Amino acid sequence: MSPDPSHYLVVGALLFGLGAIGFLTRRNLILMMLSSEMMLHGVSVNLTAFSQYHGQHDGQALTIFVLTIAACEAGLSLAIILALYQRTRSLDIRLWTTLGEEELMPPMADSASREIEPQAEPLPKLVPAGRRPVIGADGHVVTPVLSNSQVSGKGAKA
Amino acid sequence: MNWVSENIALIGTLVLLGANILLLFPSTGRKSGIPGFLLLPVTLAALGWVFLQPTGDLVRDILFYMAAGTAVLGGLLMTTQRNPVYAALWFAVATLGVCGLFVINSAPFLAAVTIIVYAGAIVVTFVFVIMLAQQEQGSGYDRIPQQPFLATVLGCLLVGTMLLGIEKTFGPDSSRLSVDRTALHVSSLSVENDLGSPGGVGRSLFTDYLFAVELAGTVLLVATIGAIAIAPRRPQGSL
Repeated sequence: MSPDPSHYLVVGALLFGLGAIGFLTRRNLILMMLSSEMMLHGVSVNLTAFSQYHGQHDGQALTIFVLTIAACEAGLSLAIILALYQRTRSLDIRLWTTLGEEELMPPMADSASREIEPQAEPLPKLVPAGRRPVIGADGHVVTPVLSNSQVSGKGAKA
Repeated sequence: MNWVSENIALIGTLVLLGANILLLFPSTGRKSGIPGFLLLPVTLAALGWVFLQPTGDLVRDILFYMAAGTAVLGGLLMTTQRNPVYAALWFAVATLGVCGLFVINSAPFLAAVTIIVYAGAIVVTFVFVIMLAQQEQGSGYDRIPQQPFLATVLGCLLVGTMLLGIEKTFGPDSSRLSVDRTALHVSSLSVENDLGSPGGVGRSLFTDYLFAVELAGTVLLVATIGAIAIAPRRPQGSL
């Protein structure tokens, strides 16, 4: 075996570059994660090559940590991707350029106009209370006639 | 100009690689990627010819070229394949090539672990999710890549700088290699029977990196809990 690690470094650089190209060009969320795993592969090849070059175990131990983190990353990313997929029924990355919730994000034009013309304070609104009125067939509100006994009975219940 | 003429082989190979990636990319105007596939062996041979000169050890060279070729071929096709399931399978092929490189680098335990974890768990999970979230055949976001030309140029520049650095450090002109080689040969001989064995890796993990091992275990636990918490649920509460 040759102690010269440059061949492995070349292969590692190629794998890393291919993973980077895949990460930039892919529009599928899952394949972007796979491309990042490819970049991790390139790093692992480098680490084992240096481990061999120096005759020590440190590179291989680090590769095991890379493997651990890759497994964590895969599990978490797939859970997130499934959650995102449930919302939009699509894996397109362009749908998720802004990850905020829509109702919380003020649109750009809105914030610009707000600076010019400040909005008036919203008036307080009355909380609806009481029984929902019953509307009869003729369109008028049918008010139930409350007798004295019903009112007193309600008061007793309360 | 002098610099360009000195590194003409490197630049030419990188241009060939970039052109091949661009040809392999699916595009709307072109139906098939046959020119890209035809160019593929030429690119691999050029990469091997320019950067990976044989060292003279025949068995090692054959094994290395097989493993490295598999890894780079799998990476190329994974990057450019339009069907996501095929892309995941090409990633598994690239993983096998990388494991071959691990074996040549005297890390057989790591190779076995990588095959088990990647091909056995990660790729299977990815394929599962792809099938769960599969659209009708050939959805638009798989067929049309995002800025393929810019990304290819950027990636080739990145690879080019790395290869240039490697060549400067380990090339025939560099002076440090001849010094290092003797010293390193001795050190690699002294532990050669131990390097890469499960016992040796375990001794390194549980002595030098004990704290990191505990941290990695904690990270795994947290990631598991997080994945379960994030995973989408049906209204009745089951996963």
